[in-house]
Amino acid sequence: MLSYGRVQSMLAHPLERSELEALLFASKAELSGLEGDELTIEVTPDRLDLLSEGGLGLYLQGRTGAAHGVPALTGTPASDPPMTIVADASVSRRRPYIAAVALTAPTGEGLDAGLLAEGIRFQELLHATVGADRRLASLGIYPYDRLRPPIHYRLEPIGAIRFTPLGAEKETSAEEFFSTHPMAARYGEMGREGGLALTLRDRERRVLSLPPVLNSREGGEARVGDRALLLESTGTLKARVKDALSLLSLVFVARGWRLTAVPVSGSHGPDTGESLVSLRRLHLPAATVAQVGGAGYSAASIEHELSRARLSASPEAHGWSVAVPPWRPDLLSGVDLAEEVVLSRGLRAEDGLIPPSSTRGRRLPERRFADRFSELFRGLGFAELYTPVLVSETSTLRTGRSSAIALRNPVSDQFAYLRDRLFVSLTTVLEHNLRTGYPQRFAEVGPVVVPDTSADTGAATRQHAGAVIASEGAGFADAAALLDFLLRDQGVAAVREPVEIPRTIPGRAARVKLAGEVVGELGELSPELLAELGVPVPAVWAELNLTALWPLLRRGESR
Amino acid sequence: MTQGAEEPPDGGAPLTLSSGERAVLSALRSLTAAAIEEEELAESLALSKESVRGSLQRLKSKRLAVVDEESIPERSLTARGVAALSSGLPERRLLRAVESAGGTLAASELEGEAWSGEERSAAIGILRRLGYLAEGLPFRFLPTAPAVSERLPAERALEGVGHGEVPDPKEFDSLKKRGLVKLENRRLKRWSASSEGRELPLATEGAESLGALTAELLRTGGWRTASFRPYDVRAAVPFLSGARPHPYRAWLREFEEILVGLGFEQAEGPLLETEFWNSDALFMPQEHPARSIHDVLSVSGVTAHPPPEGLLERVRAAHEGRALPGETEPISPGWGSPYDVEVARRPVLRSQTTAVSARFLAKRPKAPFRMYCLDRNFRRDAVDATHGVEFGQCEGVLGQEGTTIRELIGMFRALAEAIGIRELKIRPSYFPFTEPSIEGYVRHPRLGWIEVFPGGLFRPEVLRPLGVDVPVAAWGIGVTRLAMLALGANDLRELYTDDLGRLAGARE
Repeated sequence: MLSYGRVQSMLAHPLERSELEALLFASKAELSGLEGDELTIEVTPDRLDLLSEGGLGLYLQGRTGAAHGVPALTGTPASDPPMTIVADASVSRRRPYIAAVALTAPTGEGLDAGLLAEGIRFQELLHATVGADRRLASLGIYPYDRLRPPIHYRLEPIGAIRFTPLGAEKETSAEEFFSTHPMAARYGEMGREGGLALTLRDRERRVLSLPPVLNSREGGEARVGDRALLLESTGTLKARVKDALSLLSLVFVARGWRLTAVPVSGSHGPDTGESLVSLRRLHLPAATVAQVGGAGYSAASIEHELSRARLSASPEAHGWSVAVPPWRPDLLSGVDLAEEVVLSRGLRAEDGLIPPSSTRGRRLPERRFADRFSELFRGLGFAELYTPVLVSETSTLRTGRSSAIALRNPVSDQFAYLRDRLFVSLTTVLEHNLRTGYPQRFAEVGPVVVPDTSADTGAATRQHAGAVIASEGAGFADAAALLDFLLRDQGVAAVREPVEIPRTIPGRAARVKLAGEVVGELGELSPELLAELGVPVPAVWAELNLTALWPLLRRGESR
Repeated sequence: MTQGAEEPPDGGAPLTLSSGERAVLSALRSLTAAAIEEEELAESLALSKESVRGSLQRLKSKRLAVVDEESIPERSLTARGVAALSSGLPERRLLRAVESAGGTLAASELEGEAWSGEERSAAIGILRRLGYLAEGLPFRFLPTAPAVSERLPAERALEGVGHGEVPDPKEFDSLKKRGLVKLENRRLKRWSASSEGRELPLATEGAESLGALTAELLRTGGWRTASFRPYDVRAAVPFLSGARPHPYRAWLREFEEILVGLGFEQAEGPLLETEFWNSDALFMPQEHPARSIHDVLSVSGVTAHPPPEGLLERVRAAHEGRALPGETEPISPGWGSPYDVEVARRPVLRSQTTAVSARFLAKRPKAPFRMYCLDRNFRRDAVDATHGVEFGQCEGVLGQEGTTIRELIGMFRALAEAIGIRELKIRPSYFPFTEPSIEGYVRHPRLGWIEVFPGGLFRPEVLRPLGVDVPVAAWGIGVTRLAMLALGANDLRELYTDDLGRLAGARE
């Protein structure tokens, strides 16, 4: 939830709700709610910056003409001696990456309650998103002026750690903290290794925080009035550590605070931290905007739109050099910049062009082949079905023999297996229609999935055509006649061989062979199965493997 | 059937009555009782019920007969109820099993029993509620259990229904929920002659005209000397239902025809994919939240092969921000994280038909091409009215020189207009594999603006590893949602209905 008042304070004039809604619709954000001062928006995953008051304010400034280009990033260093971080080799086993920036308030200003609350809100949002619930990255906000550099990041014995957790009144041991504190219960494992825990301490050995769990009150509590801050991020994925830190710094930079680099030394080699406080330069090739957005973009308009998108372009050979602030990790290359230009200008349905076609449209011949079976079934009066490929454990196991592939993480028992035969689905249809009158005749042409070690995925998707007849007097001959009819339509006659198929009556089941290959199965459903299903009349089933049949018949591809 | 002309007492147009109608009307007029049922009337006239019913309906439409309708509740056994009556209710079978085992029965000994898990659970619950079985396993009789020989309340009720008795309502409801009995309302129709019917002077036999034209009449030429009785063309006719195309499948076919008409050729791919094709080849970072076990369905017991070596190397380079083999400059900085080949070969249920696009482009990288794939995908969603584990998507790619975002918008317009949608608006969106990414919203008369067309231009990090050197517009339309709108379905599950009555058009 953002403060709309605080966002508005960044603009030259207030925005009506409808104006805000329209501006957001043209961006990657969407207005979800505006009640009083409480503004709720949703954004696409690449534009988390718009979920901060500062990021949204910068965007709206660009759209309304209140400001343009990249805001100033850097200023006078926060203090002397300069802040540095030393990462001990021990952290590489647990949470190897750390990065930090320093922030200085505009002259005569300090941290106010609203900005502090916004910083904490956005920090938590970044924990949940970029940080993958702190696993990949977590953030800390510290009162810069009360820290004594250098800051040491290391794994140390838990027994040696005492501190006052943020929000607590008195000092406690790390043992007690890890065994009792709710934050430790949730995130403690990420910051521990056996009897060791990750700590950030300053030169005076005060504990600033136990990453990624909680800050201390001694050195990790930013307060209203602070004029300088240290933002720090630790994690297991370097890119996420940097992205999270840059996005959090946006909250303050958008309000006029200035960044200073914080060098990190340690087992991963020295890092000046400059990349977190300086603009990246990306090349936008001259032709890319036209390739992405079509004709009609002049050089001046491209520079203008980039400036409105809070970027800054300067001409260089074969295009532009575009300055990108650290909180825009979504911009990777020229196409991303071209998108900024195109979106900044706006997209309208009437801009659509229908390109002339030089290709011939067609359905796959094997799919047309499968459709033929649907037509034949309908012609014979079979109801056409379209049932899910995922089937329940009960229906799979009930049909006896099964090579069906089980899901490792099913949502429910109802969708726990990939069907390997339509038989599984068709018997379920019988069960679902006990109150429908008989005779029942229904069929489906659809996919099944079977294990296949020769397939690159380890399984093959096949098209089958299956049908059931349930009626007083239905018998094996009905199913056999049906398959004979279907195959006769293809100009072939297949051979039936007796076979035992579980849940069919012994001696009343067969497989169908064509050119020596098994292409189908059929049989009378056993009375035991019918009783389980509750079906009061005899039922027969027939099923063809169209994927096996197709190569044998493809001479008739155009039928 | 023959008929004659009757003169109405009010002097209006002559009424024509068939001989059957005359016979039925005469019988109604001579009734001693106030009214009579169809069956009784048919019996007294020695005519078939169908013929009498037809005559009565026609007399009613001519206002010569009236009917009083009454609804009579009838309780009866279902097929399952009949079976349970002969073989015993599940709880009786369980009682017998525990008794045969000496009063204690291990749960595993029930495994071979021919009853469903649902029946078994119900039986256990009932016997515990009735004080036969103790809680927990193995199954054992409580010391206070009633005698096994006693009839259970459900048995008494079931037998009562079988004998046409009215059972205890609570027991009946319980049996009904179990599908053992049913309650149907029989419509009782009692017919009598209307005042017009009583007053109508009936013509004498002889002024004949023909009803149905029969083979016999055709063979003998009898129709030449008679006239045909006019039918009441507004009269009710029998309700016809039968095999029809499945509505969802039929709608999908129509949508495919539109795409084929626009020059798109069909492609398909496996429903069980590898993460390589489902995500990696689409430049989705391996730690992307949408790839987690909470979002993508995975399987057990299947081992996939590693992706083709050369292609794997190119995709890996794009992810890691390195130059493709044989090139000097990386396409982009990539995702800043190491690429894991073991992740790439993990089998997953396809979560987007874009995987089919990746396979198609790897196989057919040379432009121009237009491809579509209209197929099923799977996601780990809880099932409700608008979400399903299985959902349909229409993938499309359009690759030719000069393709821009405007051509993609043009395609959205063409598709929208083809299915009767006139209002479309476009807004920015995000997909890891396209840049720019957009969403097309259409205006629905009831739901307002809804998102229907997501798409974009494939990123260079997708195209170049696959060997494609032209811009490619791509989309993945949620056809399930479109179909719901087109078919007026309020619940996604209606699209997959296997209700044979509904599919046959016998009920909505």
